[in-house]
Amino acid sequence: MQLEKAKKPTRRAFAERMKEYGSIDGDFVVFEADIGYSTYSHLFGDAFPKRYFNMGIAEQNEAASAAGMASDGRTVVVCTYGVFLSMRALEMIRSFICYPNLNVKFLASHGGLTAAIDGVTHQATEDIAILTTLPNMKVFCPADSHAARSVFDLAMGTPGPVYTRLMRDPLFEVYSGSETFKCGGSHCLREGKNITIVSYGDILFQALEAAESLAARGVEAEVLDMYSLKPFDADGVLASARKTGAVLVAENHQRRNGLGYEIAAWLLKNCPVPFDNLGLDDTFAESGDYPRVIQKYGISCSTIVSRALQLLERKETL
Amino acid sequence: MEYNGSLKTLDERVAYLENKAREVRIEIVKMIYASQSGHPGGALSAADMVTALYFDIMNLRPEEPRWPARDRFVISKGHACPVVYACLAMRGFFPMEALGTLRRFESILQGHPDMRKTPGLDMTTGSLGQGLSMGLGIAMEGNMLGASYKVFVLLGDGEIQEGQVWEAAASASARHLGNLIALVDNNHLQMDGHTDKILPMASIEEKFRAFGWEVLSINGHDMREVLLALELARGTTRSKPVCIVADTVKGKGVSFMEDLREWHGMAPDSGQLKRALEELGGDR
Repeated sequence: MQLEKAKKPTRRAFAERMKEYGSIDGDFVVFEADIGYSTYSHLFGDAFPKRYFNMGIAEQNEAASAAGMASDGRTVVVCTYGVFLSMRALEMIRSFICYPNLNVKFLASHGGLTAAIDGVTHQATEDIAILTTLPNMKVFCPADSHAARSVFDLAMGTPGPVYTRLMRDPLFEVYSGSETFKCGGSHCLREGKNITIVSYGDILFQALEAAESLAARGVEAEVLDMYSLKPFDADGVLASARKTGAVLVAENHQRRNGLGYEIAAWLLKNCPVPFDNLGLDDTFAESGDYPRVIQKYGISCSTIVSRALQLLERKETL
Repeated sequence: MEYNGSLKTLDERVAYLENKAREVRIEIVKMIYASQSGHPGGALSAADMVTALYFDIMNLRPEEPRWPARDRFVISKGHACPVVYACLAMRGFFPMEALGTLRRFESILQGHPDMRKTPGLDMTTGSLGQGLSMGLGIAMEGNMLGASYKVFVLLGDGEIQEGQVWEAAASASARHLGNLIALVDNNHLQMDGHTDKILPMASIEEKFRAFGWEVLSINGHDMREVLLALELARGTTRSKPVCIVADTVKGKGVSFMEDLREWHGMAPDSGQLKRALEELGGDR
């Protein structure tokens, strides 16, 4: 499987679609917290200056005022980095957006270690755990620029608050642009019968590379893109687990309370199979170039391959 | 209900509102007694201002709670919600009997305001320091729509210790939101004691002025001053947000509750209820 090197990060593709969508839907507005040239929300602002509000370096006020603006039904897209949204503005999101179930959509850039070079303060590595815990919140994470465009439309078409996690750097194109994305859906990008590898976002590419490498050793891995993290495609995971009998989740996030924990709990209840999950192991990462950082912290292709092989050994000894 | 929109002279309006505020205070004390839980002090200090808003100043339609042209009210000091619940019930947004269910299981009157459960509530609040941001967002929405409604936000003098209040204050003046009116219920007490002892904020007036707001200082228990300030603030077109700093007494109207931190969040017993109602002329 030869994937095309992406020219565009998901943050940019999402924001470009937001700008196009501004002509389709004339009602929604966009809030930014002074990183519009990084989230690319400025593209919308340039096209629709009266519908674009730069709230300054004040994320708490950004989120709470978005709640006010959305209180009579208007849709507001709130843009900034995931690390700030998920922690600094958390209470505003929880109590005044999720609790009243308002139509606020979050553009959360710099997900996981794709902000590697910026260091720990800018790496959102706990956001999935935090956001998926909030009632009424839906959480999506597109893996490439095609998916990012589709997921923007999905977020707008999904009632209530939606958090979309986006990446800083261009990665690889996994999709063609013709696929459909839905709330609670997933895509099976490679079929296999020996092991299921579940991933999302940038790590999906690592999972696909790992599957290629495993194939060379005679292991047929099934690869699922769980772009809808909440709700996640529980039936899809279950069907694949029943087929392969082993599940490995790899994500650019803390191992604790991420998608891995969610899927483990689901499988334990419905289909206990040998299981493992990769992510940051109760540690912070560091600055550096992305490929080396994800390698060191155990979420790159090579770790996925070695852990998949260990999992298969466990499966065979059952 | 008995709201009389035809009252004309200022004297008549003031007298009408003074009596209404007395009735609102009675309902506050009664509902907190009924639930044996709630915050009487900050509800009583804000009673005159909130009564003036709901029974004179604000354009509302009780039969159509989310009427698009209505004036908005955000109670940032959400724990004082009994004062709003009393006004909403007395204006006919929901039956008076509901007041007896405050904080009870499955009540429409939650411990802190819930816009999805209580008819007439414009915004969910309760965590301090956030209401001005939400009022800011509603005022931005009003501007965007070209609507003429005003947005009133009631703040406590304690909660302005929260930094987010000043993010919102800067933002409101930068956006020239003349449709946003903040009222600071300056009752000088917060939960643990007097604000000057806990975290003095120096001059509230000077702070808002420095952030580009127009500021009015009033006695928050003098209904004439309250009414005139609110009328001035809601005025016609202006380019600056307005802050009314109202000097008040926590627990106002019930002598044994006044200026005592203990009554921030305590319910009266039956003897205290009786005394409070006597003082408020409940038997009249």
